[in-house]
Amino acid sequence: MFNPVDIILSFVLLSVLFSFGTDRVLILIKLLGFQGVVVSIIPFFIGHDMSTGGTVFTLVTLVIRGIVIPLSIFVAIRKGAIRRVVEPIVGYHASILCGLAVIIGATYISGRLDIVSVSGFKLLEPTAIALLVTGMFLLMTRRNAIAMVIGYIMMENGIYLVGSGLSVGTRHIVEFGILLDVLAGVMIMAVILRNIKQTFDDVDTALLRTLKD
Amino acid sequence: MVEIVFLTPFIAGLVALFLPKLIGRSLLVLTGAAHLTLSFMLWRNQPQAIFDQYFAVTPEGMLSLLVISLLFFLISIYTVGFLKESQIQSESLFTGAMLVFLSTMTMVTLSDHIMVMWIAIEATTLASAPLIYTHRSAASLEATWKYVLICSVGIAMALLGSVLVAFSMGQANAGTPISFSALAGVAKTLDPMWLKAGFVFILVGYGTKMGLAPMHTWLPDAHSEAPSPASALLSGVLLNCAFLGIFKTNKIMVAAGLEDFSGGILMVFGLLSILAAATFILKQNEYKRMLAYSSIENMGIIAFGTGVGGLGVYGAVICMLHHSLIKSSLFLCSGNILLGYGDRMIKNTGNLIKVMPRTFVAFFAGFTGIAGLPPFGIFIGELCIIVAAFKAGHYVAITVFILSLCVIFAGFANQIMKISFDECDTVIKIKETAGMVWPQYLLLLTSLILCFYIPDSLNQTISDAVIAIGGGLR
Repeated sequence: MFNPVDIILSFVLLSVLFSFGTDRVLILIKLLGFQGVVVSIIPFFIGHDMSTGGTVFTLVTLVIRGIVIPLSIFVAIRKGAIRRVVEPIVGYHASILCGLAVIIGATYISGRLDIVSVSGFKLLEPTAIALLVTGMFLLMTRRNAIAMVIGYIMMENGIYLVGSGLSVGTRHIVEFGILLDVLAGVMIMAVILRNIKQTFDDVDTALLRTLKD
Repeated sequence: MVEIVFLTPFIAGLVALFLPKLIGRSLLVLTGAAHLTLSFMLWRNQPQAIFDQYFAVTPEGMLSLLVISLLFFLISIYTVGFLKESQIQSESLFTGAMLVFLSTMTMVTLSDHIMVMWIAIEATTLASAPLIYTHRSAASLEATWKYVLICSVGIAMALLGSVLVAFSMGQANAGTPISFSALAGVAKTLDPMWLKAGFVFILVGYGTKMGLAPMHTWLPDAHSEAPSPASALLSGVLLNCAFLGIFKTNKIMVAAGLEDFSGGILMVFGLLSILAAATFILKQNEYKRMLAYSSIENMGIIAFGTGVGGLGVYGAVICMLHHSLIKSSLFLCSGNILLGYGDRMIKNTGNLIKVMPRTFVAFFAGFTGIAGLPPFGIFIGELCIIVAAFKAGHYVAITVFILSLCVIFAGFANQIMKISFDECDTVIKIKETAGMVWPQYLLLLTSLILCFYIPDSLNQTISDAVIAIGGGLR
């Protein structure tokens, strides 16, 4: 019947819907932290026998994805006193409708795909696809630079979830390398965000359009 | 000891962050020389890596590594002169980032594991971001933001693609390591659907980094805003590194018998890039952006040639070698021009032949090389690709290819003539010192020598690289 993983994944799906509709950067960051925590604890529930190294690695992932990454964006906002509205290109109501379409589409597609998943969880693939598409949606339809960075991290979370459903697990050292890259990327983006704020006095990416042909 | 080649510049880079200016500059050149020596030793001995499930010496990687090493050494010599003339606020960050950037690119060429390749390519983005932001201006901030965001998102696609390729192994190959060489070995047993999906995502992902249209939008901005030695590295070797990821994945596709699928997509992206370059180069009014669009064109040619297969792959590799050598020398020349005239716009330059004769020689020679005039290397490469495409019967594609090359030549030549011979009364701000022109001459000379004489050992490496994806001098 229902197992705990499917239940927490359904919360992630709800948070996806929520992130389509919200206009506050702060709420987006909180949602991001929640999604980060959930995707990093999934390996605990998947059949593998957890070695000590595996457990430590999962906990490190949890700390980085769930706490360090959202916190570093939060700090970037606090220091720069950046405007906190996401400045959408597509309106909130239309966004929520898109969110519904994304979730339905993701469920349909993952039903069609014949994935040999070891997990047996019904919601793993739909959630992963939904996270990926949501990240891309935020990247494309929000002019606020912070919302774009958040979109990028959501995409990464989605990819991590796809990977954790794999029957062939990569080694922890490799996954750790990927995590380190993502973390460094977010740190650099946070530095750039602060500089954008200082230079332009705003984080609206419409200001970043002087270079073009 | 394969790993030492990328660990040396990494450590040197970290040290350089804390060194005063003058010592940092000499460390840059010294590390460049050490790296070149190590790369040659690697090429001669072909040793086994310590972490052999992650790293391996492959012919295509070795070829890129030799180019990176040679280019970096010559560019580092130029950089010393460049740094004396230009005002850069945090020079230690610049030299440190250059060295770490070299280290990450070396790691790309040596990685065999599909995920380690991803880690290394993403690391090149992160290491080169401070280089683009060197001037601390609003425009350079914009370029850095676009570069980091577009490339990170693009490369995230490649990560998804890599995961999908791992998916294609299924239960049957559960014990196989996820490395390019191992996957090529068991390619026939991989699930073609997942493999195809993985290839598309990897092509889009690494294609973003390589500058294939329509994902190329970051490239002109980043190349024009970065200081010229960094632009030369970005254009000359970073784009090749991204291509290496596509090339190696294509190797798996060919081994799995899916070369028609992968070749078709590569040709479409290649043609799109050449068309995009032809559209934007005609009306270009900044010379560094013009060179950047020329890089997009050349990446398009390389992707197209790889897609055509057979002789085309050989042509693509030849184009890649010569493009790196010539384009980096052109970017270094553009650095001299920028320092001399103090302006990026083509209309504010002119009469280069009189005011900066030594730069003019390298700039104009570079132009004739990159435009594909015979008997230079790019011409030979393009000819191979055209012949291969005719043999394979892609008549429409090759017509578009040739016509676009003509348009690009016309646009490029028009701008170069303006820079070289138009009237201009600007007073030149710098002296052309030997260190700021000889690296360009040496790069061009290497390219020229390689047109007429390729050492047997190098030729062997090239043919080993192209044979794996069904290419060769046939």
